[in-house]
Amino acid sequence: MNQEYISIQHLSKKFDKDFVLKDVNAVLDRGEILGFLGPSGAGKTTTIKILTGQLRPTSGEAEVLGIPCDRIDERIYEQIGIVTDTSGVYERMTVYDNLKYFARLLNVSLSEIDPLLKRIGMYEQRKKTAGKLSKGQTQRLILARAILHRPKVLFLDEPTSGLDPSTAVEIHNLLLELKSEGMAIFLTTHNMEEATKLCDHVALLNEGVIVEYGSPEEICLKYNRTKRYRVQLTDGTKMTLAQDQDTAGKIMLWMNDNRIETLHSCEPTLETVFLEVTGRELK
Amino acid sequence: MKAITLKPVHLRKLAAISEVKGKALFSKNFIIMPVFSIGFTFLMDLIYGNVIGNAFNKVPMSAYALAIGTLMNISMMGIYVAAAALAEEKEKNTLRTLMTSSVNGLEFFLGSLIPVVLMTVLVNVICVFIVRLPMTPAQWGGYLAVTTVSAIIATVVGMLFGIFAKNQVSASTITTPGILILMMIPMFSGLNETLEKISGFFFTGITFDLVANIKNGSALIDARGILVLTAELILSIVLFLFLYRKNGFER
Repeated sequence: MNQEYISIQHLSKKFDKDFVLKDVNAVLDRGEILGFLGPSGAGKTTTIKILTGQLRPTSGEAEVLGIPCDRIDERIYEQIGIVTDTSGVYERMTVYDNLKYFARLLNVSLSEIDPLLKRIGMYEQRKKTAGKLSKGQTQRLILARAILHRPKVLFLDEPTSGLDPSTAVEIHNLLLELKSEGMAIFLTTHNMEEATKLCDHVALLNEGVIVEYGSPEEICLKYNRTKRYRVQLTDGTKMTLAQDQDTAGKIMLWMNDNRIETLHSCEPTLETVFLEVTGRELK
Repeated sequence: MKAITLKPVHLRKLAAISEVKGKALFSKNFIIMPVFSIGFTFLMDLIYGNVIGNAFNKVPMSAYALAIGTLMNISMMGIYVAAAALAEEKEKNTLRTLMTSSVNGLEFFLGSLIPVVLMTVLVNVICVFIVRLPMTPAQWGGYLAVTTVSAIIATVVGMLFGIFAKNQVSASTITTPGILILMMIPMFSGLNETLEKISGFFFTGITFDLVANIKNGSALIDARGILVLTAELILSIVLFLFLYRKNGFER
C-alpha cells in the first residue's frame, strides 16, 4: 500500500491580485520522485515554500506527512530536508563543521558525518572552509546537510541549476539512491531531461496552473500524435518520415540494402509537450 | 504566523547555536568591536594618567575612562554585533536554513543573545582591570549586575535593528545613529542639564552614572535607575516580540 507523504488539493496562492498558483493538485508517495516542471515564474518555488511552511496558501489544502502545511513546526522539519536557492552554508566554517552543527541541531550522531561525506564525494574537502568551495561542491554540501538526518521527504528546488554536467549526474545518481531507500523527493526543475530521468510523476506548471500531470512516459505518449521516424543513411542523408505504408516500404528496402546508419522514432519530449500545450519554452 | 511562543527550548540546540554564534564573534567582522573598546579604555586611562599624574586624582579619571569604555562596549558590541550577526545570517541564507531545520524562534533568539551578552560582560570586566579601578565587592556586584542588564537590553535592541537589516552593510547603517545617540548623550551629560535629564532615561546613561558613582563612593544605582533599566528591558523584549510576530527575523 502506498504511503502518501505529500498531498496537495486545490492549492492556490495569490500575491496582491495575481494568482501565482491556481487549483494545484498533486500527490507524492514514499519512494517516489515528483517533479514540478516549468519555466521561471511558473510557481514552482512558491509551491515548495507553501509545502515547507514558509508561505501560507490563499486557498486549498496541502499536507506533508499528514500535517497541514500551515501547521508545520520543528517536529516536521526534523523529518524533511530542504534544498532551495536560498539554502546557505556557514562560509567561515569547514565542510565538516557545517554538517556537525546541523547534526547537533537535528540530534544526529557525529559518526554519520564521515560516511555521508564519502557518499557525496566530499570527504577529501571535509577540512576545507565552505566559503572556498566551488558552486558544485557547495551544492553537494547543501544536499548533504539536507539528507543528514535521513528525512522522509526531501524538497529540492532546481538542485542542479548552473552545475557542470558531471556534478549534475552525480547528484542525479544520489537522488535515485535516496529514492530507492524510500525517501520521497519533491523536485522542481526547468530541465526536462532531469525530470524525465528522475521523476515518477511530473506536473507541467505554467503560470501557476498544472497543464499536464502524469509519468513522463505517459505524457510523452499522449502527445505522440504525429508518429515519425528519423533516419540517417550510410551515405549521410538525413530525413524525417511520417509513419505510413510508404515509409515502412522505404525502411524495409534500405534495411535489405544495409543502407541505414541510424533509425529513431521521434516521440515528443516533455519540452516539446510543454511548448505544444502552453506555447512557451521551458527555459 | 511567526511567533516566539512558549515552545520548549532544547538545550542541545541552544548550546549548538550559542557555540557557533560565539565562535563567529571572533571573526574579523566582529572582533574589532571588543578590541576597540578595550583599546580605547586603555588609551583613555593612559592619557588621563599622564595628564593628571598622581595617584589621588587617578581614581576618578580611571572611573571616567572605565565609564567611556563600558559605554562603548555595551553600545557597539551589544547593538552592532547583535544586529550584524543576524543580518549576516540573512545575507548568507543560513537563517532560513536554520529556521527550516527544527530550530524555533526562541532557540535562535537565545542562542544569538547569550554569546553577545557574555562577551560584552567579559570585556566590561577586562576594562576594570585595565584602568586598575579599586572596587569593593558591593561595587563589583552592582557593576556586574547593571552592566549585564544593560548588555542584555543592548543586544535585544541590536536584534531588533537586525530584523530590519538585509545585510551587514545595512546593519551598520541603521545601527550607527542609535549607537551614537545612546553613547553621546550620556558621555556629554555632564556638560548640559537637558542632556543629563535625557541620559537618565537611557540604559547607557544609567550605566555611565553607575561608574561615575564608583569614584565618589555613593550608592551605585538609585530606585529610579532600577526602574528605568527594568522598564527598558521589558520594553525592548516586548517590542522585539511584537516586531518578530509581525515580520519574523526577516522583514
